[in-house]
Amino acid sequence: MDKIMPTSWRASSKPHLFCPGCGHAIVLKQLGFLFDEMNISRNTTFGIDIGCSLLAWDFFDIDTVQTHHGRTTPTMVGFKTAKPTRTVLAYMGDGAAYAIGLQSIIHAAYRNDPVTVITVNNENYAMTGGQMSPETLVGTLTTTTPSGKPDNLGPGLRGPELISQVASSNAYIARASISNPIQMKLALKKAIENQMKNNAFSFLEILSICPTNWKTNAKDSFAKLNELEKYYSLGQIERKTDEKESK
Amino acid sequence: MSIKILLAGEGGQGIQTIAKSLSKSAVTAGFECSYIPSFGVEQRGTPSIAFLIIGRKEIRYPRFEKADYVIVLQKRAIKAIKSFVDEKTKIIFDSSTISAKALPETTAGLFGIPATKIAYEKMIPKVFNVLVLGKLTDVFNIDYDLAWSGVVASLGKKFQANKTIEEKNREAFDFGRHFVFEVANFTKPAYVPSTKQITTIGHHKKAEIIPARCKGCGICIAKCPVGALKYSDELGVYATPIPEVDLEKCIACGNCFRFCPDAAIKVEKTD
Repeated sequence: MDKIMPTSWRASSKPHLFCPGCGHAIVLKQLGFLFDEMNISRNTTFGIDIGCSLLAWDFFDIDTVQTHHGRTTPTMVGFKTAKPTRTVLAYMGDGAAYAIGLQSIIHAAYRNDPVTVITVNNENYAMTGGQMSPETLVGTLTTTTPSGKPDNLGPGLRGPELISQVASSNAYIARASISNPIQMKLALKKAIENQMKNNAFSFLEILSICPTNWKTNAKDSFAKLNELEKYYSLGQIERKTDEKESK
Repeated sequence: MSIKILLAGEGGQGIQTIAKSLSKSAVTAGFECSYIPSFGVEQRGTPSIAFLIIGRKEIRYPRFEKADYVIVLQKRAIKAIKSFVDEKTKIIFDSSTISAKALPETTAGLFGIPATKIAYEKMIPKVFNVLVLGKLTDVFNIDYDLAWSGVVASLGKKFQANKTIEEKNREAFDFGRHFVFEVANFTKPAYVPSTKQITTIGHHKKAEIIPARCKGCGICIAKCPVGALKYSDELGVYATPIPEVDLEKCIACGNCFRFCPDAAIKVEKTD
């Protein structure tokens, strides 16, 4: 059986900087075990973005790069171009991926750049105090929508579905949730293997919890996550082939 | 003449609420006041500091070199206050979590208030900051009604949503206000997070819990399918209760281990 803590975690930086009950750490734990299992921690570069994801800057015993505002994806694409033998991961939150950095991801997907993008979606800007993000569902209370998110601000952006429209056919695009860590680990594995074996783009969105800004306890956080799962369907997202293209 | 106050603690403890309430009371009473919060990018767990100046004269610059009063409520925040203390600084600290030995030297006096202990044992942990605030309003000689109006100004919305919150906070405020500083050497704080690994061995099962990493989020308790986990009296790294395992009920499914964000718990089957 696995050790209590992944070997790829940096023990000296624990307890880590994330809030109690943060979903990021649940994702990073499975990612850590995956690095151990695939034995790739010496050959991986981990890119993190602005937002809560940057608190992972000393999380792993792995080379880590931090950039801002969704530019993690192009930075890691550049890194991969310079060092094609390395495995590169771009790890960011939903604000960085879908609001301020969407163009970066769209173009990486369009060019089918060999990079694995992991987006942790907790449907708010957690580090700055829980403001509304494009992922916030209608009716949700946040600091910028104190009476619930109104309809005219959009129903909640389905990122992977959007990106799959421009992605190449051998790209791996999926959505997982921290409510099932075993499936999440499998999806992470597929996303990393797709980069290593097929030299193709992979995008994985992971639905997560934010007890601090949702102001929920452990049980209610997972109940709310369950609500999110009803709107954002889990699993691999197939690319809709254009009729003209298929002819 | 102005009083320079430095409040230091940890994100999530309510340091900024104390500072806000004090400054609102001061402004209501017609004093000049400046309040500057300072904290890191993290929401929880790292030092959170408030610079507060209250005086009769106009305040030209909100920062200061040395504080008249330093209020420190968490051991990890001591690092941040050291440069603001000189021999005239009075230090008020949480004597249930901080040892007086760890504090910087001052001749003006160390005043301990076992706020964590009182909040945990007599009240609810969340009213901790209001309890300290109660004592501070007494120290700074603020009129009772005026002081409470500051609390209402910063926590009023929560009070409107739930009346019991107001009652609990009022109780803590009153207790804090009437608290008398003890004369003690404050070398042995009562609430210190345990550092040892806790291992329990049951029938074909072994449970390990590491309090030095547990932040008390309660995810393991919520995710246990048989209800074998519950909060214990031991404290984790953020002075929050850590879970304990009932190995009679436990089925060693590994859910607690899989979900724990801090890698602090694991139950495994043994032969």
